[in-house]
Amino acid sequence: MKSPRLIFEKRLTTSRTITIAVPVISLVLGFLSAAPLFLAVGVNPILAYRQVLGVFLNVDGLTESFTRGIPLLLASVGLCLPFKMNFWNIGAEGQLFMGAFGATAIVFLLPDSPAFVLLGSMMIAGFIFGGLFGLIPGYLKARLETNEVLTTLMLNFAAILWVDYLVYGPWRDPKGFGFPLTPMFPPNARLPWIPGTRIHTGLIVGLVCAGLVYVFLARTKWGYELKVTGESRLAAKYAGIDYVKLTLLAMFISGGLAGLAGMGLVSGIVLRLRHGISPGYGFSAIIIAWLARLNPLAAVPVSILFGGLLVAGDALQIGLGLAFATTSVFQALILLFVVGAEVLTRYKVALTWE
Amino acid sequence: MAFFVSLLAHTVQAGTPLLLGTVGEIYAERSGVLNLGVEGMMAMGALTAFTTSFYTGNIGLALALAMVAGALVSLVHAFLSITMRANQIVSGLAITILGLGLSGFLGKPMIGMTVPHLASFPIPILAEIPIVGPIFFSQDVLVYASILLALVLWFVLFKTRLGLNTRSVGENPAMADSLGLNVYLIRYVCVLLGGVMAGLAGAYLSLLYTPLWIEGMTAGKGWIVIALTIFATWNPLRALLGAYLFGGVIALQFRLQAIGIGTQAPQFLLMLPYLTTIVALVLISVEAVRRRMGMPAALGLPYVRGES
Repeated sequence: MKSPRLIFEKRLTTSRTITIAVPVISLVLGFLSAAPLFLAVGVNPILAYRQVLGVFLNVDGLTESFTRGIPLLLASVGLCLPFKMNFWNIGAEGQLFMGAFGATAIVFLLPDSPAFVLLGSMMIAGFIFGGLFGLIPGYLKARLETNEVLTTLMLNFAAILWVDYLVYGPWRDPKGFGFPLTPMFPPNARLPWIPGTRIHTGLIVGLVCAGLVYVFLARTKWGYELKVTGESRLAAKYAGIDYVKLTLLAMFISGGLAGLAGMGLVSGIVLRLRHGISPGYGFSAIIIAWLARLNPLAAVPVSILFGGLLVAGDALQIGLGLAFATTSVFQALILLFVVGAEVLTRYKVALTWE
Repeated sequence: MAFFVSLLAHTVQAGTPLLLGTVGEIYAERSGVLNLGVEGMMAMGALTAFTTSFYTGNIGLALALAMVAGALVSLVHAFLSITMRANQIVSGLAITILGLGLSGFLGKPMIGMTVPHLASFPIPILAEIPIVGPIFFSQDVLVYASILLALVLWFVLFKTRLGLNTRSVGENPAMADSLGLNVYLIRYVCVLLGGVMAGLAGAYLSLLYTPLWIEGMTAGKGWIVIALTIFATWNPLRALLGAYLFGGVIALQFRLQAIGIGTQAPQFLLMLPYLTTIVALVLISVEAVRRRMGMPAALGLPYVRGES
C-alpha cells in the first residue's frame, strides 16, 4: 500500500531568501486561515479583511498602529536576549506591569519636578522595576534550574494582581467615581508627541533600544556568549561562559525593556495607572520576537504591523461585533504557521508516495 | 468541623481538573513531548462542553465532544512538534494563545449563559462514613472518574509493556526505534491522550466548577497543570497528591474570602495559587538539581531518525 511520507533533508546553509520568505509567507497564511472562523461566527471574511487592511490605509489608523507598536517593540526587543540563549521568558507582561508601577510611583513621589527630571526618573524606575522583576526567574533558573517558563508566567499573574491591588486600593483616585485607576498624571509626567505627529516620543526610545540591542547582540562579547549558550549550554560551559551572570544580565535588560514599555503606556497613552493597563502586549511581544527571528531590527516593522493588528481588532469589535479575542486568534494562527514553517529553514522537505 | 469538611470537599473539586490535566500531560511528557498548550486545550474543552450542554442538555455528549476538542487542538501540537520538528515551547505557547483566543472568539454569544449544574452522585454506604464520606464519596461522577483514571494510568505507565514502551520513547528514542518501536506513533498517541484529558478538565470547569460561561475561566489552571507535572515527578500517583494540594490552596482562597478575610485586598488571596506554584517549583528544583527525578531524558527534543 502506498502512503504519503515527508522526506527531510538537512540544509547546510540557509539562504537569505528563505530566511525572509518563510516568516512573510507564514504571516499571510496565518492571516488568511482565519477566514473559516469568520464564517463560523457569521461574518463575511472579505468584510473582515477589508476592515483590517483599512487600518493601514489612513493616517489615523497608521498613527494608532505606531502608538500601539511602541510597547510591543520595547518588549519584543528585550525578549530577543533571553530567547537567544534559550531562556524562555514568558513574563514580559508582568515585567511591563511592574515597570508601569515603578514609573507611577515616581509620579507620586516627585509630582512637582520639571518634566525632564520627572520623565527621566520615570524611565529609569520603569526599567529598574521591570528588570528586577525579571531577575527573580533569572536567578531561580540559573541557580536552581527552576523551570523559567512557569516562574515567569506565574509572576505575570502576581504583577497584574499587585497593580490591581494598588488601583483598587491605596492609589485609587478619590475623584474617580470608584473606577480602578489612579488620578491623571500632571502634564510634566506625560511623554510629549513627536513634532508634527500624534505619536509619543516613546517611539524614539524604542527605535534607539532596538538599535542598541542589535549592536549588543552582533558586536559585543556578551552577545556572542548568548548565542553560544543558546546553541549548546554545555559547549558554553566548556568555553568558560558564566551561565549565571549571563542569565541575570539578559533577564535584567529584557525585564527592563518590558518595564520601559510599561512606563511608555502610563506616561504616553493612558496618562495614569489603571486596571488592565496592557491587553497582553507582553504576550504579543513573544510572537513578534519569534517572527522577527530574534533580530531586534526586524522587530521594528513587525511590532508596528502587530500594533496595526491590535487596532484592527478594535475595529472588528466595534464594526462587526466580534470578540476582543479576535486578535489573539490572528496572532496564534500566524505563530503556528511560523513555527511549523521554521523547519523549512533547516531542512529541505519533500512529500513522496512510497 | 463543618468548615473543614466543606473546605476539603471543595479541595477535591478544585483539584479534579488539575488532576485530569496533569495525568494527561504526564503521558505526553513521558513520551518526550512537552506540551505547554494545556491552558488552550482546557479552554476549548470548556467551551465545547458548555455549548453542547447549553444546546442539547446532554452531559454525556458534552463530555465526549470536549474530549474531541482537546484532542483536535493537541493534534496541531503533535503535528508541529513530532512531524515538523518544531520548537515545542513556541508551538505549545501558540496552542495556548490559539485555544484561549478561539474560546473567546467562538464563545462570545455564550457569555453570561448558564447550564444546569451536574448533580452529585453520592456512593451508597461509603457516602455515610463521617468526614471521609462527604469529602470523597458525595461528589459528582467526574471526581470518581478522575481518581480511577489516575490509578489506571499509573498502572499502565509503570506496570505494563505499553507503559514501558512509552517511557523508553521519552528516555531514548533512538534506542526505542532500534528495538522496533514506532516512536512517532507512540508520541502522537500520548500527546492526543494529553489533549483528551485537558479537554475533560476544561469540561469539568464549565459544567461543574463554574457552570456559567466567562471568557478565560481557565485562569492559569493549565499552567498549574504543567507545574504539577514536574511537581509530581511525572508520576500519576503523585499527581493525585499534588492536584489536591493545589486544589486545597484554591479552595482555601475561596473559603477565606467567603468568611470575610482579606476583603480589603482580595488580590493577595488571588495570588496564592500562583505564588504557591513558584514555591513548589523552587522546592522541587532544589531536590532535582542533585538528581533529575523522573524527568524523561529526551523531553522536548524532536526525534529525527539517524540524526541523534
